Amino acid sequence: MNAIADGTNAMEHSAAVVWLGDSACHDPRSTGGKAAALSRLAERYVVPHGFCVTSTAFAGITPPVRLPSWLCDRVLAAYGALLATNSPVAVRSSAVDEDGALASFAGVHETYLNVRGDAALLAAIERCAESFFSPRADSYRQQRGAEYGAFEDVRMAILVQQQIASDVSIVAFSANPVTSRRGEVVVTASWGLGESVVGGTVTPDTWIVDQGGERLRQEQIGDKRRMTVATEGGSREVDVPRVLRQVPSLAWEQVSEVARLATQLEQEAGYPVDIECAYAGDRLYLLQCRPITTLPPGDDRADLFHSARYECSGQ
Amino acid sequence: MSVTVSGTGEKPAVNWDQPGDEQMFWQLDRMHFPNQLLMMEDDFIRTFYSQGFFVAAEGYGAPIRPHVRRFFTRHYLAFAPLPLSEAELEDLGKHFEQNLGRAIPEQRNRWEQEFLPEIRALIRDWEAFDLAGASDAQLLAHWDVTIERLARLSRIHFEIALPMLLSMGLFDEIYSDLFGTENSLESMRLLQGTPTMTTRMGQGLWRLSRIASNSPAVRTIIEEQAAADVVPALERDPTCAPFLAELHEFLGQYGHRAETWGISYPSWVEDPSPAIKSLKDFLSQQGRHLAAELQELANERDRLIAAARDRLVGYPAQAREQFEFILTGATAGYYLSEEHGFWIDSYGLDCVRQVILEAGRRLAARGALEERDDIFHLTFAEARDTYTHPGTDRRGLIAERKAELTAYRDIQVPPMLGTEPAGPPPDNPLYRTLGKFVGAPPPPSDEPGMLRGAAGSAGQVRGRACVVRSLADAQRLRPGEILVTETTAPAWTPLFATAAAVVTDTGGVLSHCAVVAREYMIPAVVGTGMATTMIPDGAMIEVDGAAGVVRVVAD
Repeated sequence: MNAIADGTNAMEHSAAVVWLGDSACHDPRSTGGKAAALSRLAERYVVPHGFCVTSTAFAGITPPVRLPSWLCDRVLAAYGALLATNSPVAVRSSAVDEDGALASFAGVHETYLNVRGDAALLAAIERCAESFFSPRADSYRQQRGAEYGAFEDVRMAILVQQQIASDVSIVAFSANPVTSRRGEVVVTASWGLGESVVGGTVTPDTWIVDQGGERLRQEQIGDKRRMTVATEGGSREVDVPRVLRQVPSLAWEQVSEVARLATQLEQEAGYPVDIECAYAGDRLYLLQCRPITTLPPGDDRADLFHSARYECSGQ
Repeated sequence: MSVTVSGTGEKPAVNWDQPGDEQMFWQLDRMHFPNQLLMMEDDFIRTFYSQGFFVAAEGYGAPIRPHVRRFFTRHYLAFAPLPLSEAELEDLGKHFEQNLGRAIPEQRNRWEQEFLPEIRALIRDWEAFDLAGASDAQLLAHWDVTIERLARLSRIHFEIALPMLLSMGLFDEIYSDLFGTENSLESMRLLQGTPTMTTRMGQGLWRLSRIASNSPAVRTIIEEQAAADVVPALERDPTCAPFLAELHEFLGQYGHRAETWGISYPSWVEDPSPAIKSLKDFLSQQGRHLAAELQELANERDRLIAAARDRLVGYPAQAREQFEFILTGATAGYYLSEEHGFWIDSYGLDCVRQVILEAGRRLAARGALEERDDIFHLTFAEARDTYTHPGTDRRGLIAERKAELTAYRDIQVPPMLGTEPAGPPPDNPLYRTLGKFVGAPPPPSDEPGMLRGAAGSAGQVRGRACVVRSLADAQRLRPGEILVTETTAPAWTPLFATAAAVVTDTGGVLSHCAVVAREYMIPAVVGTGMATTMIPDGAMIEVDGAAGVVRVVAD
């Protein structure tokens, strides 16, 4: 069995687990692009609380992954500080690459939703870490060749966040991704956890709103047939109850709040962004914010609703 | 309407005599009316019950209207969409769902505060009226009042029936949507175990059987006499008087149910044989505890509801709220499905029947009829007319009508008539729920000796088939046998305590038979379409209630 570096170094221990929102978590070289970006957002926005098990903790790791006991202790201490016993968390990989900005790499790794309890959390972290060595990840690395180091140089970080019981999941764009029209925000939303919205298995509700969220330009309520829900130790996709399929998943005030959030994030970033967020009760959580990398050339006549290839999930 | 039978072996032809009828899609309703319809029964269904349905459908803004006809002496039912454009129908459908959404949470209160007191007052008035002692003029006035009350009962019936059925149908839908199960039985288990007039009746009968088993004289008479002879034998033995008093009290309270829905069949008060038959069976089943069985159902229901709520923790709040809303509504609907059946279909209609019988008795005494019960071969208007015109002789007309019944008695009538709709039925909750109530055409069987129907109540059992055509015929049923019948009405309920399983030709998961089978925890397959014709009486069969499958193991 390959043990993770025995970690007698006190410096390494202190850097093994860092909190979202702390400056120690802002460095993508240690926490990965996703966690670092979220950490910066967590300073000023409502982001689900969480911590990151850093690349320092995983230094020198090879499969099969077993966390050493000192790291287990640190992870469980952080879990205990984060939430009440057995509260659910989401466990995600956060890829670490040389420049720390290549978000798409994250897509080949795994996410574990609704993980509850100490043993399940440790197991999820181990499985998540294993996924960095999966054939899928490996072939991805080979394709990208020089951008990544050799097998031994794989570096990874893992993000553990409070699981939000999303009533509605939202993907919003601060600029219209189909028409490239600036100045209008596109909000798409559907019931349940984000997978069905992000994964495109549902026709979401769509609103086109002025930047700043003052005025509704267009609204289309989707026939939302599927939703992802948290189940014991994970998630699954089920049918939306027929009575809810054509009910708008957001009230206008909520659409407006999302539009304001997207507008503000674009202004701060200096470029158009796509964001993932979720309502749990009345509370709006920001889950992710990325640049819109593929705005097509502007065409004011293009119609979002008649664009067959339109997908709400922007990479 | 008139019909002609164009020779043996050929299908009977319909002469459509009402405009538009041929364009509608008529389905033989054997679930409610498995037998031939007498004229007065048809008049009752057409003039009162279906009118009550019609008015309720209109009141709730339903996009469809019910129609009923008597073809080939049988009862046919059609649901026709209103003649509107597709967009208008869709709007109306949404409007209807909103109205039902308001009616569903109100239904139990409305029943208890408004309808039940009204019905009980009507019944009190009926029971206070001295039928035998009334003058002819008084009886005529009472007849007219009775007709008005019948219209009122029919209105109430469907004002209750629509939200009641829809709430259960919607609950089944939301349950299968949320938990990804196609098995309706699972959702219905979350509604079971609530005490209703039906379960109280069962327990009342059970209590009687305990009293009987403690009295050797009573016990011997019930065990040894034929069901029809039991009451006369009890009356001859003075030591049986206390039991007889209990029996009459029970019948007065719960004995207003008849073999099928409607007015033309005697209730247990008139003929207690079905109740006596159940007493015989209960006496042979000493080990059972009906109250404990019901409690077990209730406990299982509470466990299942708790488990469903646990599973919903990770679901959107809006989905959880809808689940709770519809669960509450469907629990009320489930309760009301028994409650309205008891107070309206059984008790209320039995009161109406008693007035008709008294008029029939007087008409027979005058010579207008051959015998009292012949009055059911007349329409209400004909009966009243005969009553107010002394000297009228209806015997010729009635003989013709009896001849018509005889001519059609053994004719296999088509299960469907008219114009089959081009596409699938509209996808709205009302149509979907009606499908679960009256049943969908059964899926074709894919192996010989196997019948498919709808899952009615879970469980697997093997036993001898007792194929029956009537409640009287069902008295042959022995414990451990499987009851195979076209349909069951409330008066059949005690047989569920005897049968090992039930198989019907008609009905869906929300039908009376399926509901009662679940309460009695015996397997049921409903809506097979042809169990009574395909399964030989006495054959060894296997019933898988959850799968909705019946297999003939050996003839």
